[in-house]
Amino acid sequence: MDTGKPRSTPDNHPGHPDKARRSFMWKAGAGMSALLAASVPGIARAVTNNDGKRAADIESLADQVAVLENEKEIRRLYKTYESLLAKGNYEEISSLFANDGEVVFGGDIFKGRKEGIDQLYCNQFRSGSNGKKISPRQEIPPDMGEHTDTVEIMQDRKTASARFAYSIQVGEPIISNSSLVEMARLQGEGIVKWRESGTCNVSFTKNMKDNTWKIQRLEYLKMS
Amino acid sequence: MNVPMHRFNYTKLTREQIGQKLKSTESGPECVSGFSDALSGKSLKIVTENGPVLDYRFKSKNMLTLTENGGSKVKAGYGALTLKQVVFFSHMIPGEQKGYNVFIDLDTNLVTVFEVWLSSEKKEKTLRDVEFMLDNREVQREIYFGYVEVAGEKPPEKRHHLTNRIEGKGIHWKQDTGVETLELYASVVSTNFVELTRHADNLSYCSPSDYVLVNDNMFIYDRTECEFSGIFTLFVADLFTKTQAGVRLGFNEKDELEYYMFRGTGKVVGQLAYLEGFGDHGTKPIVAQAADDPQTPGKGQRLVYRPVRDFKYMSDEEVHQAALKSTIAFPDGETSPMAGNNMPFTDMLAGKEFILRYDNGGPVRHYKILDRYKLKYMEEGENRWHEEPYRAYEGDEKLVFFSHMLTDSKPRASVQVALDLMNGLTTCIHSQMGTEYFGNETSYYAIFGVAEMDGLNPPRYMRHELTDELVGHSFAWSYNDNLTAMHLYTAPKSAAWTIFTETQALGAQWCSPCIFVKLRDKVYIYATNEEACNGNELVFLINRNVSHDCGFSFNGKEHGVTLNVVGAIGRHLGRFDILDFYGPRA
Repeated sequence: MDTGKPRSTPDNHPGHPDKARRSFMWKAGAGMSALLAASVPGIARAVTNNDGKRAADIESLADQVAVLENEKEIRRLYKTYESLLAKGNYEEISSLFANDGEVVFGGDIFKGRKEGIDQLYCNQFRSGSNGKKISPRQEIPPDMGEHTDTVEIMQDRKTASARFAYSIQVGEPIISNSSLVEMARLQGEGIVKWRESGTCNVSFTKNMKDNTWKIQRLEYLKMS
Repeated sequence: MNVPMHRFNYTKLTREQIGQKLKSTESGPECVSGFSDALSGKSLKIVTENGPVLDYRFKSKNMLTLTENGGSKVKAGYGALTLKQVVFFSHMIPGEQKGYNVFIDLDTNLVTVFEVWLSSEKKEKTLRDVEFMLDNREVQREIYFGYVEVAGEKPPEKRHHLTNRIEGKGIHWKQDTGVETLELYASVVSTNFVELTRHADNLSYCSPSDYVLVNDNMFIYDRTECEFSGIFTLFVADLFTKTQAGVRLGFNEKDELEYYMFRGTGKVVGQLAYLEGFGDHGTKPIVAQAADDPQTPGKGQRLVYRPVRDFKYMSDEEVHQAALKSTIAFPDGETSPMAGNNMPFTDMLAGKEFILRYDNGGPVRHYKILDRYKLKYMEEGENRWHEEPYRAYEGDEKLVFFSHMLTDSKPRASVQVALDLMNGLTTCIHSQMGTEYFGNETSYYAIFGVAEMDGLNPPRYMRHELTDELVGHSFAWSYNDNLTAMHLYTAPKSAAWTIFTETQALGAQWCSPCIFVKLRDKVYIYATNEEACNGNELVFLINRNVSHDCGFSFNGKEHGVTLNVVGAIGRHLGRFDILDFYGPRA
């Protein structure tokens, strides 16, 4: 079992309990530590013995639980990112990034929370109402859905990488001195909008001070 | 009044001046038709959502006491009118610059309350991020929906609500005061209105409005003449009987207080199509003022287009100096956002030579068309040719519409020329920089004449003419697939444009004087300067047969003077039958 870089897919993610849960129980056996038992009360009665092999199993299991917890946090962090984009709360987005984090969007690199990331989201994204999550088009291959989402926690538990499918609204303000464009802007419009889909590759680092994950690098790879 | 409202210099009334003038409202409004005593002797407790609880005691038909949110009792004069089952009463609060206007539906116990106030001291930001304070004289309003509390009964479940059911409707109203107004409700947040008795020129104006549905045939309407006098008009109307009962509050152009209630009778003059989805009933407000409005979404928020606040004054000389640095014809071509759906350019004049001779001592221009994009012209009497870029469309069969700059002109000028190759008639819209108000606005006029060209035998008396055939018509014009506006040709010398929202409801509006020229059956020129707005001139050839227009824009700003192309695909949305209301009155 490679617990260094466990790959999580919806089939073994805690959010899809059946298969993952069965595998978890088989591996846990009856030797789970009291600590683990406390965190998994449903199997507390099984934890009664304390021999060496089982201790190792338990350690491995605890390790896997930690990995799963980290994955969960990372998925939650990415969900928060998507949600802020969808609601247009661009000014809150940079707080999800590491101080030296960076974003690659449209071929440009935006580095640093204040000078790069805030600029990208608060200016460029806001002006085009970019980032609202929308359904992928029919012609996008089926594997471009959530099934391709992966999260990998590195062995050091301080870094991680992930890949998420995205399908978002992208826009650019119409440049014109026409009063029509001004009036449209008054209504929050005046934007040429299109749909962009692809893969969002993200790397994460853990801030050891408060034990929270931050986005280190986020790159949009456009497929359509 | 013969100064257009968008040109009139309304006094910046102070809070003190307004407070002084409002003292006369303490005894209540006036009304030519007399007030109703429907509320005399009654007490009402009105509960509103997200608004005040109002306890009223009506001592007589013109005196009430009010307790707001359980506070101290206030005595005020009021007036009430009934329209069918709706009782409408209006009062101001003595010593304050605010009041309430309350519509009670006695059938349902539902209530709509308009709180109104002046001297708002509200700050807004323009689209170019300039913070400014609203004029004290601009009446503010907040709408609350609620009900009359009845002891022992549950509150009604429904409420009055905003609606798009009135969108596209037009009504001619005649008040008991004798005032006549054409109101064209061509937007869910604004109105085109023409003051037929208050103003001399039959120009239309746009002002922010609200539309509230009472029931299938009754609605409540308001209009605040923002950026003009700031005066407020509010009424309930019944579309079965075409009657209204309302109030007018605010200061007119003479700074006189108007606070009176009125009755009126109306006539529905038409209904334009509205283009929202069929499941969209317009119940949600559109209040997206500038995103960084410091007080968004503060009380009284509404969508108001205030273009002149961002329009920087330039003198004639400043514009000309800018023009000397840069005068550009057709910089964008087909890439202009206003020309994504334009008609194609034509080369049907290429290689031709002709003279355009305009009447009444008008210009006589000799032309040599070099190719699809270049021409030479010479004014009669000159001895040298001027070479200019031009663009030409075939606007209808063998009807060419072309434009070019007039070389080295001061003020900078351009011409937009319709040349009919079948009958030899020609119209020239002469466009130049500057109005009496701004050097960076444009002015224009039409001149008519004939072409001298091989194969043409033009008439001696017949000419293209100014026309009112388009009056009342409305089109959605899609300049590109992301930019569609509705034109409403509101009057013989006036038109409005309205931008669609994302849901294809009609939203912000502006309007300007204009002219229309008839070229052929269903083929016209429409020329306008976006006055008190951005000063742009737009000259379109409208071809109703193909529902397409093509044309030119002309403007001058700090960076210079530009002549460009515009054009859009059209959808005819309908027509108001209003032409008979216009013309000189004895």
